[in-house]
Amino acid sequence: MLPEPQPAPVIPHAEFKAALLLALTLALISGFLAYVMYARGVFASTQRLVLVADDSEGAKVGMDLTFSGFPIGRVQRIELAADGKARILIDVPREEARWLRTSTVFTMERGLVGDTRIRAYTGVLDDPPLPEGAMRPVLRGDASAEIPRLIATMRALLENLEHMSGAESSLSASITNVQTVTERMKGRYGALAGVLGSGDNARKVITALDRTNALLASVGEVSAKLDRMIVKADERVFGAAGVMDETQKTIVQLNAVLRDARESLKKADAVLAEAQAVGANTRAATTDLAALRAEVEASLRKVAHLVDEINRKWPFARDTQLKLP
Amino acid sequence: MHRGFSRVLGELGTAFLGGGASWWRVFHFGALALVMALSPATYDRENRAVTANQIYFTAWQVLPWFTLLAALLSLVLIRIVVETTMSYGLSQYALEMVVRVLVLELIPLFAALFVALRSGAAINTEVALMHIRGDFDALRRAGVDPLRRELVPRVIGSAVSVVALAAVSGVIALALAYIGVYGFSPWGFAGYTRMVGHVFDLQVTLGLALKTLLFGLAVAVIPITASLETPREVRLAPVAVLRGMVRLFLVLVLLEGASLAVKYI
Repeated sequence: MLPEPQPAPVIPHAEFKAALLLALTLALISGFLAYVMYARGVFASTQRLVLVADDSEGAKVGMDLTFSGFPIGRVQRIELAADGKARILIDVPREEARWLRTSTVFTMERGLVGDTRIRAYTGVLDDPPLPEGAMRPVLRGDASAEIPRLIATMRALLENLEHMSGAESSLSASITNVQTVTERMKGRYGALAGVLGSGDNARKVITALDRTNALLASVGEVSAKLDRMIVKADERVFGAAGVMDETQKTIVQLNAVLRDARESLKKADAVLAEAQAVGANTRAATTDLAALRAEVEASLRKVAHLVDEINRKWPFARDTQLKLP
Repeated sequence: MHRGFSRVLGELGTAFLGGGASWWRVFHFGALALVMALSPATYDRENRAVTANQIYFTAWQVLPWFTLLAALLSLVLIRIVVETTMSYGLSQYALEMVVRVLVLELIPLFAALFVALRSGAAINTEVALMHIRGDFDALRRAGVDPLRRELVPRVIGSAVSVVALAAVSGVIALALAYIGVYGFSPWGFAGYTRMVGHVFDLQVTLGLALKTLLFGLAVAVIPITASLETPREVRLAPVAVLRGMVRLFLVLVLLEGASLAVKYI
């Protein structure tokens, strides 16, 4: 047999308690919703900022824009623009927007662990504030993309270093040489021995220096003598009865001689002019002489002709004898 | 051989159809209960008293104990997460992780399981016995709708219970998370607010509300449906309770899995 249902126990103020519980729950839920809305910036007035990136990889809706480590804005939307670039739309509350200036630089960097971060760097806080809806490029830095390049560079560097520090490397040889030189420098002749290679050489150099000193002293005496000699020569040449004075006189006389010579030349010139006239006359005479000569030649030819005629007609000296063999 | 095979096939088909019909009744009853709970006409004087009693039993009585338990669990989990993230040098993610794991996932599920264990099993047994005893027929003969008088108040009671427990414990867990990460200093408030705003976006908040509400409905609706579809024999009462509780557990796990999948996949 089933037990008969018992009448429900009377609960004091059941309805009040139920209402209280409902009210508490509703108050908690609505309070929490209001807090979440406040936290999401629903009540704050914002301004829009558009960042343009080549690649939006790692960027997410809801991520923060930080300035000096403090979040000052939130990514609202990410879209692909018509030119193929990613546009990241960020809402910045107006009270935080004072950190963003026209000269602010934006970077998007990706650490080894954790999210991508969008950061703002403002160097000059006195610049004009960023206008509403401003569009700015964002610089990308990706730590994990840098690693392979870094490792390759490091390896090359390490190889070079190993090469340099090896036993047969030029650096090691140089250091050995430096050691030899410094050891020589520790000797009696100091750095000179180091530079010249041995103590003997250094001694020679020092002797040479001594001699040079002596030489320089005698050269000094010689130059003093030379000085005196020059003074005397000066007197002889440019003095009152010196060479220069005599020469001047000679030049005056030479001038007079030259003047006479110029006169003689003028006379010669006149003689030459006359000679020229004589020459002209002679040329005319020579022309007449040519005609005369032609006439003489013609007469001679006639005489020769006449002699030939006479010879033909009168054979005096001709051998006319016929000889028989 | 052939006959045996077709018989097995037939049994499988019947079972499948039966199962489908059973799930359909769950949805049908759930929708009906929701509509009735939302219509003001449900709350006449008698029903108000019954609903108040149900809320008192399923929520008011357990609230202090459950809150204490949830606070202890939260405290332990917060310490574990903070210590672990600190040792890995990731303490900046501790707060977000605590909030996501505790407030969004563990506390609603914990509340639903607690109410299912305490009230769901009780409702299942009670309704199965009333059904077998023929109390509902008696009520109907007396001109009272058993759905409105007996069943919907239980659904409302368990739903309110799950939501209230989850809300109270969630808020306490949020406060404990703040204290666990920042101590009693007030200067972490801006960063904390930022993180809360970051975690609770529109989808997550709506998803949390919907999930908690569905948990609350399932905790009462599934045991009641399982009880009502049992044949009216006393020896089958334990079967009704068993089937109802297994199905409820399955639904809770599926809801939680679906919510996780939507959020993180």
